[in-house]
Amino acid sequence: MSRKAKRQLETVLFSLPAIILVCLMMYLPFVLSGYYSLTEWNGISKEARLIGLDNFKTIFVESGDFLSSIWFTTRYTVFFVIFSNIFALALAVALTKRFRAANFFRGIFFIPYIMSMTIVGFIWKFIFTSGFEKLYEITEWSLWNYSWLGDTKLVFYSVAFVGVWQSLGFYIVLYIAGLQAVPKDVLEAAVVDGATGRQKFFKVTLPLLGPSFTTCIFMSLTNGLKVFDIILALTKGGPGTATNSVTLQIYKEAFTNNNYGLGSAQSIVYFLFVLIITQLVLKGFSRKEVDL
Amino acid sequence: MRRETKRKVRKWMLVICLLVVACFYIYPVFLMVMNSFKPFGEIIGDVLAFPKSFDLSNYTYVVDKMKYLLLFRNNVIITVIGILGIVVFSSMAAFILERREGNYCKIAHTIIITPMLIPFQAIMITLLKSMNVLHLSGSKIGLGIQYWGFGIPMATFIIFNFMKTIPRELDESATIDGASTFRTFVSIIFPLLKSVIVTVIVLDVMWIWNDFLLPLLMVNSNNETKTLVLAAYTFVGQMNTKWNYALTAMVLAIVPSVIVFILLQKYIVEGVVAGAVKG
Repeated sequence: MSRKAKRQLETVLFSLPAIILVCLMMYLPFVLSGYYSLTEWNGISKEARLIGLDNFKTIFVESGDFLSSIWFTTRYTVFFVIFSNIFALALAVALTKRFRAANFFRGIFFIPYIMSMTIVGFIWKFIFTSGFEKLYEITEWSLWNYSWLGDTKLVFYSVAFVGVWQSLGFYIVLYIAGLQAVPKDVLEAAVVDGATGRQKFFKVTLPLLGPSFTTCIFMSLTNGLKVFDIILALTKGGPGTATNSVTLQIYKEAFTNNNYGLGSAQSIVYFLFVLIITQLVLKGFSRKEVDL
Repeated sequence: MRRETKRKVRKWMLVICLLVVACFYIYPVFLMVMNSFKPFGEIIGDVLAFPKSFDLSNYTYVVDKMKYLLLFRNNVIITVIGILGIVVFSSMAAFILERREGNYCKIAHTIIITPMLIPFQAIMITLLKSMNVLHLSGSKIGLGIQYWGFGIPMATFIIFNFMKTIPRELDESATIDGASTFRTFVSIIFPLLKSVIVTVIVLDVMWIWNDFLLPLLMVNSNNETKTLVLAAYTFVGQMNTKWNYALTAMVLAIVPSVIVFILLQKYIVEGVVAGAVKG
């Protein structure tokens, strides 16, 4: 065997396991979803009946369930991106000030992030029901007496709030890393030039945080679009369909209603939805970053 | 001097504010832990009060009922299998694809990292069917192996970028000294990848240990194969409003990760930051 052929063989052998595994777990199901989206299939029978684009017609024209789940996911994601980034940035700024317990505080804010999201959902279910009940008894503020998980309007804020609460620590540590990477000499130069504390923050630190913003907003965007565990534990999508995220909708369509074909079609639409939004946001951001 | 005191006062105000915010922030977790030590009547009576006596009967009941030790072992087995495969196969692929040139490498690289764009929920329905055919569903080992496919794209991406910073002269000189490619990888390159491998391990352990949806689809039918979070989910569902047992199960489900976090806080935070910035 020639040396070149041997090298080529090595290249293939080293990369083949990864390629095969990725193909089996990701590409194969993805292609199958494409096929089954064109069928009517209950998941049990051997034969799936080809019905063309009827499933997509059901999604966009006949049934409002999927579109309303897209709408919920969009609102959830917007809320989640805005509030997790604002709070995380504010706390990160406070936590980069020099004091002894800073590391301890960072740890506290990070703890919900290392917990399973399912458990986080249950914790808040407990707080929203038993905890709030007691608080109302003590304070008699009507705030505690609202039906935070039972009212179709309020439940959105409850779910979104729990989402932010769970992952805030993650974005805090990302912003802290970004803040610490802002060069000290630039900040000193700003002070020498007579910048006030506020000007220093808004005119120097914030623009230089560009890469952190991109990372955090992108991560919170994809995580928001994928929300599942928290909602399943907290409300199961209810009351009614008030907190039905796309992921939950796909799950129910396939595994509760046994409409695997329709569920596959929803998966494909969901994939395109996520792809388009993330690419648009990424493009928008890569243009705005400031270089030093 | 006056400016100095002013600065000190402001710093103390900040610390006090942070303390208040942090207390509110973590209070729900504290409330869960505290109530898990109370009998049912006390939780209903007053959620906010401290337990009247230190009582572990909830814990002995739940540990036994949930088969906690079995679940813990399942989680360890699944996580270890998952991590081993991800680290070995991703670093091999990232090494060779970064070092060699040609169309094959470009295409292989694209094939491996593109699935990062596919959200898991978009393929879960047909994944279940495919895994049934491959006999990877319904067992711990099968579940561990499935994580290879889902973890490899991101891990390869991160390790590939890190490979660029390792000078090529190192493996070239090893080759000149007569080392085979495999030998070069194992004794020269892999040790140099240590820091990035730690990042990958931190990210993937956090993900696999706490993952819910994939175990729900794959190993939910049998009590012997359930994972910790999955069993806690089922258990809390069964206990419905018996919060004393439900809360205990919840605490037991998160205790391992919290302990590990307290011990390894520095590495975990560093790994998470590095992974997010590179990913």
